[in-house]
Amino acid sequence: MAVIPEQVRQQLRDRFETVLTGPVHLTVYTRPGSSRLILPAGVGCATCEDARQMAELLRDASPEKITMEVVDVTRDEERALNDGVPDVPTIAVASDSESPRIRFQGLATGTEFPALIDAIERVSRAEHGLSEESVAALARLTEPTEVMVFATPT
Amino acid sequence: MALASPQIRAVCVEANEFPYLSNKFRVRGVPHTVINRKAAFVGALPEVDFVTAVLEGAGVMVDGDATPHPDPPPQGGREIPRGPSTEIAAS
Repeated sequence: MAVIPEQVRQQLRDRFETVLTGPVHLTVYTRPGSSRLILPAGVGCATCEDARQMAELLRDASPEKITMEVVDVTRDEERALNDGVPDVPTIAVASDSESPRIRFQGLATGTEFPALIDAIERVSRAEHGLSEESVAALARLTEPTEVMVFATPT
Repeated sequence: MALASPQIRAVCVEANEFPYLSNKFRVRGVPHTVINRKAAFVGALPEVDFVTAVLEGAGVMVDGDATPHPDPPPQGGREIPRGPSTEIAAS
């Protein structure tokens, strides 16, 4: 695939070999077979196939640590609803297959790709990188809270 | 942050790919952060301010704020009014 060049794939393999410590589970919510058909009102999915291939390449960069699951939302709409995933493509990152809480909606290319790599590494190492004060403050959250960050590849 | 709190769900949205969301939340620049689909701020904040913004957006009382952060008042029909970052900068 053209999304990630071979040079970057080798860099990923080398990096994951040393950085990843625990398991990471990627869940790709996609709508297969629609990449060639773009319809109005968001019916089509121009980047689903690329997102699936990107997740496969990430898994292949460290198949011992990274597992991957593809959820076809057209066939398993209930799963997408239960997981609260309204749009495709979405790549979710978690340490296991339980409801993942870190998601990348849309194809994470450009400046978003390092963020996806960082998420995989942090999940694997269970390192949030926040100060003790921040963790203590966030412990005051008693209800599910969504933090949605809009970004662009450039 | 989602790794630090089981209550948090972090979603990174490719703004160009989902124009209906970008329009809904009035995204004019990135990074644009929306908390619980109501409070919002633009740009990168220091960690402590980011945490405060998330807490305020979730309606949790923060130090020095005696009352829970109210829903921002409507401003000219904007769906997503000015976020908490302005208040943080002014405090």
